[in-house]
Amino acid sequence: MSELPPKTSLRRWFVTTNHKDVGILYTITALFFLIMGGMLALLIRFQLWEPGAQFLSEIAYNEAVTTHGLVMVFWFLSPFGFGFANYFVPLQIGADDLAFPRLNALSYWMYALSGILLGISYFQGGTLSTGWTMYAPLNVPMYTPSLGSTGAILALAMFVIGITASTINFLTTIHHSRAEGMGLMDMPLFTWSILATVYMMLFAFAALLAVALILLSDRILGSIYFSATEGGALLWGHLFWFFGHPEVYIVFFPALGVMLELFQSFSGNRLVGRKWVIIAICLISIQSFLVWTHHMFLTTINLEVKTLMMATSIGISLPFDLVVFSLIYTLIKGRIKFTTPFLFAFGALLLFIVGGITGVFLGAIVLDYEFRGTYWVVAHFHYVMFGGATALFGGIYYWFPKMSGKMYDEFLGKVHFVIFFIGFNAVYFSMFLAWETPRRVFEYDPAFQPMHQFGTIGAVVLGLSFFIMFYNFAKSYVSGPDAPDNPWEYTRTAEWAVSSPPPLENWGGRPSYASGKLEFVSEALTPSDDHDGPAAATDGGHGEGHGDDHIESYPYWDKHASHASIWPFALSLATGIFFFGLSGVSSSIDITTADTLFGTGITVSNPVYPVFTALGLLGIIWTAVKWGLEDFYAPPMEIAERWPFEGVEKVKLGMWFFLASDVIVFGAFISAAVFIRVAAGWYTWEPLTDSLPGLINTFVLLTSSFTVILALVYARRKSRKGLIAYLSATILLGLTFLSIKMWEWHHEIYDVGVTLTQNSHGDPVQATIYYVTTGLHGLHVVIGLLIAGFLLVRAWNGAYQEDPRPVEYFGLYWHFVDIVWVILFPLFYLF
Amino acid sequence: MIASVLLQGTDGLRAQAEIFNEIFSVFLGLGTLIGVIVVSYMLWNAYKYRDDGSEPKESFDPPVLGELPTGKGGPKAKKLFLSFGLSAIVVISLVVYAYGLLLVVEQGPDAPGVESADMEVDVVGYQFGWEFQYPNGVTTQNTLYVPEDSAIELRVTSRDVWHTFGVTDLRIKSDAIPGDYSETWFTTDGEDLASGEERTHQIECFELCGSGHSYMTGEIVVMDDQDFNTWYDEQAAALENESDGSGAATNGTDSGNGMENATNAMTAQGVEA
Ligand SMILES: [Cu+2]
Ligand SMILES: [Cu+2]
Repeated sequence: MSELPPKTSLRRWFVTTNHKDVGILYTITALFFLIMGGMLALLIRFQLWEPGAQFLSEIAYNEAVTTHGLVMVFWFLSPFGFGFANYFVPLQIGADDLAFPRLNALSYWMYALSGILLGISYFQGGTLSTGWTMYAPLNVPMYTPSLGSTGAILALAMFVIGITASTINFLTTIHHSRAEGMGLMDMPLFTWSILATVYMMLFAFAALLAVALILLSDRILGSIYFSATEGGALLWGHLFWFFGHPEVYIVFFPALGVMLELFQSFSGNRLVGRKWVIIAICLISIQSFLVWTHHMFLTTINLEVKTLMMATSIGISLPFDLVVFSLIYTLIKGRIKFTTPFLFAFGALLLFIVGGITGVFLGAIVLDYEFRGTYWVVAHFHYVMFGGATALFGGIYYWFPKMSGKMYDEFLGKVHFVIFFIGFNAVYFSMFLAWETPRRVFEYDPAFQPMHQFGTIGAVVLGLSFFIMFYNFAKSYVSGPDAPDNPWEYTRTAEWAVSSPPPLENWGGRPSYASGKLEFVSEALTPSDDHDGPAAATDGGHGEGHGDDHIESYPYWDKHASHASIWPFALSLATGIFFFGLSGVSSSIDITTADTLFGTGITVSNPVYPVFTALGLLGIIWTAVKWGLEDFYAPPMEIAERWPFEGVEKVKLGMWFFLASDVIVFGAFISAAVFIRVAAGWYTWEPLTDSLPGLINTFVLLTSSFTVILALVYARRKSRKGLIAYLSATILLGLTFLSIKMWEWHHEIYDVGVTLTQNSHGDPVQATIYYVTTGLHGLHVVIGLLIAGFLLVRAWNGAYQEDPRPVEYFGLYWHFVDIVWVILFPLFYLF
Repeated sequence: MIASVLLQGTDGLRAQAEIFNEIFSVFLGLGTLIGVIVVSYMLWNAYKYRDDGSEPKESFDPPVLGELPTGKGGPKAKKLFLSFGLSAIVVISLVVYAYGLLLVVEQGPDAPGVESADMEVDVVGYQFGWEFQYPNGVTTQNTLYVPEDSAIELRVTSRDVWHTFGVTDLRIKSDAIPGDYSETWFTTDGEDLASGEERTHQIECFELCGSGHSYMTGEIVVMDDQDFNTWYDEQAAALENESDGSGAATNGTDSGNGMENATNAMTAQGVEA
């Protein structure tokens, strides 16, 4: 653990784990990607100046279209909302920080560095050119062979890893660290919208991770999922849109949360029908997973499914209606202050209403048939997603005084809003007028040229308006007046009750709402007035995860919360290097197969990428171990509201959320297997392999589930020997599993002739599915064994006697891996 | 802006364009109306309740910093449920209405009481063009020839990547997915064509499919009945000759692999041969 350097030191920004610092990093980085995505948008608009313009080449145009979508949806919208979430959710619920500060910094660095990987992909022979929806099979190397295409998808995968970590962190924080007296229903609506967002993210991004992993396997290992004519293209559609529709709300909800806050703060009224708004938000989050095929109405999906999804799609507009009406009625009888933040929030609602109404059109299937792939869709989702983001700009004006300690210039802010709003409607409303133009096409009907030219001018205006904002913030930060603690009259939430900017550890005393309003209780856990220390702790009181477990040797009042660690950055950097290497590894290594394993020839034509891959992998392992060994202390809140997870300890709760997302990852792989098999004709496939090795492996893994339980039992009994013995047994069983697996694969490849792309029994895609799905499971076993090895070494040195919880968390993971096998075994070995 | 569309459906079959236009105008009318009402209500209230610096009314009870949030009940909540109920009624009746017409579109020429399709054509998308396969084995590239006054069914697929076959004039569209056949249909009713006259509709691709996507266009040519029959028989005969002669039944068409230049794809090929 290192001390946190001052804000003026560059080093601070690489080591900080404090939620407010990370929030600022997110915000600034997201604005950088806004500029990047905006530049790409302008390139598109210039190409549309006249039909068939040659401003960009065909492929460059497709690349601009693709990266504009990817950057705006992934690298700008969500992270911009999560900048605020990082900064203000802990403040709004009365927490000191997020539940896992280092994990939070890791999320940020994964995000930032994945964006750099995306940038690099442009220089790897051209980046992805498939559109952000990456439809199969255009997304496989046969049609998009550039290394940059693989690089862009790897960047996306890395981004998703960061998102998953962040999701787990926010879920745990909101469920574990609410101040006394703050029930779930009492949370401010911005926090509520973030909670709904992270729940959707947990499941939706797991599906995206799965689909990205399958695609990477196709692109790097050469498997043939998405080029398979047995439903490969449709499989992509289903998996992508299962993620893609919730994603719309994932980017919109943080903005909605800002709207809900700002409408109250600037009208001086409380939200009308608050409880129902929260219920509507929850309903939308659930329903968002039941509408995805409305993106695929023109495929061969049958009428029954179409009808169902039409009803759910139009039905999902109802809870939104309620929220919109609630916002409008909140203004009535208020004293509305038209400050810049409110103007943006108000404008956002206007834009969202247009986006919502035009969205109902798309829900009617007959209209959707015609709108599909046209500028109607483009206009609609910009009104929804960018219209929503308009509220986020309201958010940045609203919170700028809190985050920077300075007031911005109100006049410049209003000028920004007016120009922004005019530019916005010029670009996107003209798209409605030219809606018959196909998407992503630059050779269009000359009749629409005036509309597209008008849109291009609007885009320039829209883009320039942001420089007013940047100038405003830069000038105010340098020479603006100091911001008071609460510059807005009618605010309610706790971030306004502390100084601007807030102190490092947020609060003077312990925030509590036990009396019905915010109070700071001064019996804080300081050395002078709380000598009982650990005995009073209700929640274990120490440690977060393996690695932090040895802090029990300190009396905890001697421990200050840690705020600095270099390992999140280092681990992300290693991951970035590893992924960069992976993008080119398949094109720099030639593998010639032979009849035996030893006859396989490997020629390395270009050592750069393989070297990066190897260095990155070593770096990941090294930094992960350093992370595990670091003395980093994130104190859990002693007194907190935790419903509905009262009895669950912090790290265990995080582990549960992680496993829930992993269930979706495997669920997607298993669905893929079933989907393709149904498309190929279920009964035309026989199991590829003998069931005996699979059966033995089932027993091996199930036995290892018992040994890991016994390891925990002995750790609890403080028996070092027992712990070491049963951890070793677990590792040995895991190795046995892997050896049998290796033998089986070897047998299949060299004796039977079933490889990743060839199947002597029949359908080649069956072989692909077998290797990739069991391979993913095998990878989970390998990771489990690495963690078990880490635990074993530490157990040998005497760890886990006082605090056996890391063994328990590992056990949860290991059981999960075993259960997955129990599902895979019948799927691949019996039927 | 909306090009001339086929509005007449004989044989009791309503053209997709007609159905689309009906639903679209209902949605557009209602959507505009609701949008205008909601937006003006919002703007009016925002203006009415602006903070003009005057003394606040006594009933004005702003929240205080640090209070636990409470929602507001009372007359406003009633209003909320009333407007929510109204919007639910509008939306649900729209669903029911649109669903009825969806069934018409889905059944198409297969619907009871109408004549069944006069011709079925397979459409195969490829990078970057369209191949049309007629029932008699004739194939054409990028131009689909059809007789007037008939119902045509299309079975759309792809031989490489995902494309989307669409004709804006006719309001038809269908995904072209490798390994999969999706169906759509259209009618060629309209003003009578004299011999030698033609009517054309532009085909476009609506799913990004690679570098030539922007230029992946084609044409539907509606011909006089007699003209079409003559052309169709000639093509069949030519096909026969060719397969007798060389054994290769490509009918002089460029099967797509020679399409290096995407702009080539714009010109119909193999037909005048
Ligand atoms: Cu959707
Ligand atoms: Cu295309």
